[in-house]
Amino acid sequence: MKNTFLKKISVLALGLLLFAPACTNLDEELFDTVTDKNFLLTEEEQLAAMGQAYTSLQALGNHANIWSISELASDELVVTTKGGDWYDGGVLIQLHKHEFTADNGFFNNAWGSIYGGINTCNRLLYQFKSLGLPDELLAELRAVRALWYFYALDAFGNVPLVIDYEDVSIPSNEADFQTGRTKVFNFVESELLAVMPLLSTSTGTDRYGRMNQAAANALLTKLYLNAEVYTGTPQWQKTIDAADAVIASGFSLMASYKENFAIDNTGSTENIFVVPYDRVYAGGFQWVMMTLSYASSNTYSLTSQPWNGYAVVEEFYNSYVDPAQNPGPQGDVWTGLAVAPTTGTVDNRLSNFVVGPQYNADGTRTEDPGFEGASSAAPDPDGILLNFTPQNNEIHPNGWRQGGARIGKYEYEKGGSNNMSNDFVVLRYADVLLAKAEALWRLNAADPAALAIVNSIRTRAGVDTFAALDANNLYAERGREMFAELTRRQDQIRFGTWGAGWWEKAVSGPTYEIFPIPQIQIDANSSLHQNPNF
Amino acid sequence: MKKYLLVMLSVLSLSFLMAQERTVTGKVTDAETGEGIPGANVLEKGTTNGAITDLDGNFRLAVSDGATLAFTFVGFVTQEIAIGNRSVIDVAMEQDVQSLSEVVVIGYGVQDKKEITSSVASVKSEDFNKGMVNNPAQLIQGKVAGLTITRPGGDPNGNYTIRLRGVTTVGANAEPLIIIDGVIGGSLSTVDPNDIASIDVLKDGSASAIYGTRGSSGVILVTTKSGKAGKSVVDYNGTVSFDNVARTMKFMTADEYRQVPGMVDLGSDTDWLEQVTQTGVSQIHNISMSGGSGSTTYRASVNVRDVGGIQINTGFSQLNARFNLTQKAMNDRATFSMNLATTTKDASYGFTDVFRYAVLSNPTLPVMFDPTVAGLSDVGGYAERDIFDYWNPVSIANQSINDGKDMRLLGSLRAEYDFSDVVDGLRGTISYSQQRESDMRGQYFMKTAKFQSANLAGGLGGIAQRATEARYNQLFESMLNYDQSFGNTDLALLGGYSYQEFFTEGFGMRGAGFITDAFTYNRIQEAQQFNRGEGSVWSYANSSRLVAFFGRANLNIGGTYFLSASVRQEGSTKFGENNKWGLFPAVSAGVNITNLVNIGGVESLKLRAGWGRTGATPNDSYLSFLRYQGVGSAYVDGSWKPAYGPSSNPNPDLAWETKDELDFGLDFGVMGGKITGTVDWYQRVTSDMLLYVNVPVPPNLVGQTLKNIGELKNTGFELSVNWNVIQTSDFSYTTSVNFSTFSTTIINLDDEGGVLYRANMGSPGQNDTELVRVKEGEKLGQLWGPVMEGVDANGVPIFKDLSGDNSYCNCDDDRTVIGQGLPDFTIGWNNSLTFKSFDFNMFFRSAIGHDLLNSYRGFYENTESTTVSSWNIVNTAAYDPNIKKAVVNSSHVEKASYFKLDNATFGYTLPSKEGAAIRRARIYVSSQNPFVLTNYTGIDPEIRYVDSGENGGQQDPLSPGIERRNTYFTTRTFSMGINLGF
Repeated sequence: MKNTFLKKISVLALGLLLFAPACTNLDEELFDTVTDKNFLLTEEEQLAAMGQAYTSLQALGNHANIWSISELASDELVVTTKGGDWYDGGVLIQLHKHEFTADNGFFNNAWGSIYGGINTCNRLLYQFKSLGLPDELLAELRAVRALWYFYALDAFGNVPLVIDYEDVSIPSNEADFQTGRTKVFNFVESELLAVMPLLSTSTGTDRYGRMNQAAANALLTKLYLNAEVYTGTPQWQKTIDAADAVIASGFSLMASYKENFAIDNTGSTENIFVVPYDRVYAGGFQWVMMTLSYASSNTYSLTSQPWNGYAVVEEFYNSYVDPAQNPGPQGDVWTGLAVAPTTGTVDNRLSNFVVGPQYNADGTRTEDPGFEGASSAAPDPDGILLNFTPQNNEIHPNGWRQGGARIGKYEYEKGGSNNMSNDFVVLRYADVLLAKAEALWRLNAADPAALAIVNSIRTRAGVDTFAALDANNLYAERGREMFAELTRRQDQIRFGTWGAGWWEKAVSGPTYEIFPIPQIQIDANSSLHQNPNF
Repeated sequence: MKKYLLVMLSVLSLSFLMAQERTVTGKVTDAETGEGIPGANVLEKGTTNGAITDLDGNFRLAVSDGATLAFTFVGFVTQEIAIGNRSVIDVAMEQDVQSLSEVVVIGYGVQDKKEITSSVASVKSEDFNKGMVNNPAQLIQGKVAGLTITRPGGDPNGNYTIRLRGVTTVGANAEPLIIIDGVIGGSLSTVDPNDIASIDVLKDGSASAIYGTRGSSGVILVTTKSGKAGKSVVDYNGTVSFDNVARTMKFMTADEYRQVPGMVDLGSDTDWLEQVTQTGVSQIHNISMSGGSGSTTYRASVNVRDVGGIQINTGFSQLNARFNLTQKAMNDRATFSMNLATTTKDASYGFTDVFRYAVLSNPTLPVMFDPTVAGLSDVGGYAERDIFDYWNPVSIANQSINDGKDMRLLGSLRAEYDFSDVVDGLRGTISYSQQRESDMRGQYFMKTAKFQSANLAGGLGGIAQRATEARYNQLFESMLNYDQSFGNTDLALLGGYSYQEFFTEGFGMRGAGFITDAFTYNRIQEAQQFNRGEGSVWSYANSSRLVAFFGRANLNIGGTYFLSASVRQEGSTKFGENNKWGLFPAVSAGVNITNLVNIGGVESLKLRAGWGRTGATPNDSYLSFLRYQGVGSAYVDGSWKPAYGPSSNPNPDLAWETKDELDFGLDFGVMGGKITGTVDWYQRVTSDMLLYVNVPVPPNLVGQTLKNIGELKNTGFELSVNWNVIQTSDFSYTTSVNFSTFSTTIINLDDEGGVLYRANMGSPGQNDTELVRVKEGEKLGQLWGPVMEGVDANGVPIFKDLSGDNSYCNCDDDRTVIGQGLPDFTIGWNNSLTFKSFDFNMFFRSAIGHDLLNSYRGFYENTESTTVSSWNIVNTAAYDPNIKKAVVNSSHVEKASYFKLDNATFGYTLPSKEGAAIRRARIYVSSQNPFVLTNYTGIDPEIRYVDSGENGGQQDPLSPGIERRNTYFTTRTFSMGINLGF
């Protein structure tokens, strides 16, 4: 009896032994991942975290984002469908023709970048406040957030105001569009005014690429300049005051316009706020890919083949070289089909464009082997040779591969990659000056101070001064100076030309003065109100 | 008690026998071998008078006149013979193929086929697919109803997609759990097809629930061959095979191309396909030795494969060695077994781009640069064109290197002890196994190559990349089994613990700009890019763990009623904090109807039903956290500093996907056991599927969160029938068919809307065109697009207005379902004939009812000016030169139903002499994929269960039915081989 009992016990013990190493620990071990449990603990890590507030701005140099929707809907730039390339479901054509639909992916990219930036600022504000970091850093974050809300206000108008990271309720916007837009305008204004005394007054390299008082004032200038469009009430005097605050900071116009956009433009005395890019450290500025032709890699010895997308609308290009619109010294310029040079105004700012016959690095003419042959639907006017002709044939379906002058504003690097190293200019001194001039002119059309400012810009550009200012030449001068700097759409709406027709665009209505809120966002958040008539 | 009864009866019968009895003698032999069968029963029918045959098969029995003798033996067909007035009766007994006590491998053990109450299929090595088989998955392709194994195209280095019962999950791992000799999660790359004895598939939830969080997609159990005591044998198998291109995409010849308006004539007539393909010659050698004596058995094998691919410069060579050893000890109470297997593989992968640009190439383009032809550039001597999306395919094949070396090691040790002397019927087992895999990859693109811009990269040209990954997992399991009989009830209990740990790590680097091509990727530190701070270097590591407790009870009541219940409590580190553990129960029951009721003509009939819950885990670890990652660099104080930001929203409620499955089945045997089969009907509901859903950007940090949110329902029917038509000693013919159909419906996708559009068509010009719609309440597999009605004067296709507003808006209101990517049903049909020493096997496979979207046609079957001037044009029967615009639409979706001869083998077994040195010799010839009957004009009509994306590299199970431009060409194989046994 005892024997079997002992035996049974020993069996039971053996059985337990089998289960003894039973381990039930299910905690994760992290190797290549950092989570909120083990990151943001030292000061160095916190500054690295703050860097994201600025890197979020790198979306501005990307294709299919904020810059693209604004520029392609304006009369400056267009992307034509070149046969089988660039149709992409019609999203680019609808921007040019002002036939926006809420399911256009570009709008969602812009919305995502904007709110990604806002979220980052909110989160950092929350985390840094509890850590007791200096007020100046907090002020910088609020200023960056105000810049994001400015873009949201400009593009979408009535957007939800999300300013508290701890508030996890579903964000909503106003039911009435204008009420909502005014609310956002007031927020941006109040934020910038509130942080102004806390921001640094320095404009040196220690504040390069970061928000300081000058940048906040420049942003205020742009905000007030468009106040009538945003809120219905103009604020011309406030525009002048904010501009004066910037002028007092010590900026000056560069002698050479294109130096502001050089590969290394850190030395510009005119750039107030930039987004720094670098081909190694901070990629994403891809205009070299977006605008140049497939064959242009031979011209600049690029390491990647460009995409042949963005081209300049001919009417806009002509505003530079047409002596009736832009009086100045006459010389050889490329117009129309660029077969041979014609005579037109030689404006220094023609450095904004890459136009005319193209050459390889070895001096021979660049060829585009994919050119449209004689039997194709839209034959290339000069055959295999690559020649950017200001004249373009059609937007769809067979736009010329070489059609349209291309963007040359930012200097292209020989041997460059698909990421440019030039720093992207967000706020520039010339813009502030012209804003002041316009505000003065709006208050008093004969104001000599306004004319003087505009003429200083024109003199720098190497063209003749105006005798007097009117809506047309002021509007056109802003266009020529600020090409591709995200101002044209605002100018067109302000001066009332947004609904007009140009190239392939027909006359359109006021619905399109604002972009639709992306459909994906409306679907994901039922308390969002869509913009009127979308 | 029994003994007394027998004596009494025999005394009684003796008294009867006194009346009219005589003695009958005879010999019972095995009809096939002629050898005597010892231990067979000879019974006088209607009495209990019987005898047992002796060692030589002889018997002697005293019977009465006019008696009928019944001869029975396990595994043989019962014979009844009236003695008439004979006194010597010799009987040759036929093997009863069907009622051989078939044992099926189930989770954590084996079970008698008669007792199985779940849906389990078993394929033995003699039924495997024949011919040149390099991947174990290929062995059972088409052999199991409901198990689809596909590999679109014929890439020898490509992987098979295995799906059981259609689509069960879209977020988590959809491949079945592979178990090799008890090692859970083993990789099929550690097993050579020649070493596999059987593959068992646990098809329904009640069978796989014992594997818990990984059993949702089914479980495949692979059992390798082991040694047999007493018989020492050496086997050698050798095969040589030749692979050729079977199907490609139909593009124009040079003459046809010259007729197309807008064409660019570059003067030559190049057969690009011929330039980049070759006949792939392969050899396989396998030698195995097994044997043992007394308490030790072993099997060792070495497999060598040298495979040539059909793309030039591709193929692989592989060496696999395996050693299985089993040893008993402690008076045969303890059994120790050890399995060791290792594989090393050296491969040259090639690029799918070579095939893609070969079919796309302008047929008048010369291969090598010709200065007299305009519009060409000379890169490395090859002719290149400066147009969008084109590279000379011969240059890619010859000027790029894409190598790899893989190493696999699987070792397991198992100890089993029989405690029957202490507690009757108790057994304990401990096992430990480790699997180690390491992959090394190297790529080099030459300075003289245009592909990947290698001639410009890094300034000097030349791009090198080197990367390696290592994966380890170790498994520890311990179990107790208790088997006992009470009266006519058998009980089998099982309880156990399982612990498995996984670790993956890897690193790599890529740099460009070399002074010479001579190093290829072997001196990557000289890349000029590194000196400029460019180029890239990376490393990573992650781990996870699984812990489980499991138990099962099986009941067999009188061989008539069967009951099985199991449960597994499993936890994984991959889940969120709040949901680490899950419970997975199952229950199933069966009734052996022929034991209760005698139905004429029906030998066996078993009805069974089962219900089980299984789970599925996400592929990656750390998904439930708020994770940070580097988001570029910010310019602070005059220099660049790294910036960090959140990359995922936290979800502490992240849990496994749950699948509940109900299965009803019938196993039958009719016509004297000649026809056997099973029928299954099942319904499975997968809930809490892991899906990324869009979330509002404020207040969340990131625009998408991984949530348990989807629900999927899958209903299906399976039938498999095996028929031994004729079975004589000279001729036999067996045929078997399996048929399966399923239908998957999306019940729930997300919190609102419930529609997803996925699968981008791609460039040129068709970015932002979604090809697939996934909608709540609808079946999975919908291809989405506009319906083409005609062509207008400008060559633009006219699309039908479906929204009723008399115009075609380029939006979803005017698009509709234009195809279904999943099939109506699939069939596998096997025929085996033997005639004397010849054997012939033919296996057909068919899938009916699925569609495929032919991407090549969607881009290149038109006369658009850029398309014509840049590339070749697709030339199928649907080619219409009036169409001058490439827009994917309903005309590019084709019915892809197919019927193919998958493999056919013809063999001859040389006559063998008793006691000869060569015990067995067989030679054979085999052909794989000799013909396919289909109306599909694309490369491969095989079902696409996942979409690889417009650039490859993805596996999206929500978008079936698209043939992408990176599809490898299909191959036709012819092989010859020899099997020798010593």
